[in-house]
Amino acid sequence: MRKLLDFLLRKKHWFLFIFFEVLSIMLVYRDNLYQRSALLSSANYISGHIATVTGGIRSYFHLRKINRNLQEQNGKMEMELLKLQEQIDAMLEDTVSFKGYVKDSLHTEYPFQFVLAGVINNSFSQVANYITLNKGKNDGISPDMGVVSEQGVVGIVSHVSDHFSVVISLLNPKSKISCKVLGNNSFGYLSWNGHDIQHVTLEELPRHAEFQKGDTVVTSGYSAIFPAGLIVGTVEGFSKEHDDNFYALQVKLATSFSSLQNVRIIRNTLQQEQLNLEREAKKND
Amino acid sequence: MINDILRTAAYFIVLVLLQVLVLDNIHYLRLATPFVYLYCLLKMPVGISRSQMLIFSFFVGIVIDMFSNTSGMHAFACTLAGFLREPLIRLIQGKDLPIGIYPSFYTFGYKGFFRYVLLFVAIHHCALFLVEALSFFDSYYLLLRIAASVVTTVLLIMIFELFNFESQKIGE
Repeated sequence: MRKLLDFLLRKKHWFLFIFFEVLSIMLVYRDNLYQRSALLSSANYISGHIATVTGGIRSYFHLRKINRNLQEQNGKMEMELLKLQEQIDAMLEDTVSFKGYVKDSLHTEYPFQFVLAGVINNSFSQVANYITLNKGKNDGISPDMGVVSEQGVVGIVSHVSDHFSVVISLLNPKSKISCKVLGNNSFGYLSWNGHDIQHVTLEELPRHAEFQKGDTVVTSGYSAIFPAGLIVGTVEGFSKEHDDNFYALQVKLATSFSSLQNVRIIRNTLQQEQLNLEREAKKND
Repeated sequence: MINDILRTAAYFIVLVLLQVLVLDNIHYLRLATPFVYLYCLLKMPVGISRSQMLIFSFFVGIVIDMFSNTSGMHAFACTLAGFLREPLIRLIQGKDLPIGIYPSFYTFGYKGFFRYVLLFVAIHHCALFLVEALSFFDSYYLLLRIAASVVTTVLLIMIFELFNFESQKIGE
């Protein structure tokens, strides 16, 4: 007995070694399966605050580009305003007396709301990429909310702490967003090949779908995370998948992930209702 | 004893901050990321108990994991490298090293220290990238990434060692 204890004590580093390795592998797997704990992610208190400081410094580097984007957007909106103004003027000319626009009394509120957030940590060149944002539980953010930038779709919130949240970006093998080609109702799933930060693949698009190079790829709106019609990118090419029933489209991303600064988190007020209903429907199977 | 703890803590804080604030953003040609934080494991005194070494390496790994959203991957790789450190030193330097010295150019010799760093870094990187490959596998790209990262990490650690005041002081 004594010898056995001696032996165990002498070899205790072996047990420690096995214990730590098993623990690490469990952490890796658990993260792949549930990804819900914020403690071991960059959304935790310490790393979140450090990232806030560095993100603040880094934000100065892209000011020129952000400024240009904002001006472009501003110009676009001004053009739209002028167009609408012209339409109103034309209508006013035709009408003898214009009573103004009366709201439909049955109008229901649009279920999607935006929450503005700043990017404080951004990875785009690893195999699995994440983005840390400076809004968290206290701002009403919860996992499974969609994130977009002014250019296009960015990703989906996965971890949330009190003040920070971590987003699984489109550049991550874990991200699967249902998308379609604009003007066409068949949908497929976006997936990333792990190398190219400007391109993703739209997989499992049925063969009967019609599209051309240069067509816009948008979110399908089937998932309760994103509203339909948000821009993801444009079609650059296509190939047949091995079983010949589906297309795989090469999509050039609209969002430039290397210079993300400000994003919007989409809150869907009806998300819980839709998920509960779907779960109930599945339960009866 | 107290000196050793303070010294380790100083290495740890400086290197982890350097890693997560600066080096994690480097991806040369989208292939090579230097993981220079390994330097604080490499510079632990010779003859430290293997259990202590294991606990410290796991801790360093899990802290790096927290910052880079790679839960468990660095912890796994660091634990393995930390576990194999003592056999590695014995393999390269033989058994006649005095207890408590710090590995450096002066104590190991240029060639010995280089081999020590190269093997240690190679073990760590292989483990790290293989665990990463569990979720995403592409063999050619994987090998290229391992090789490129080992080269940059070893290069940077060597430069670090050349400018490390502590090693020079001991060498005098």
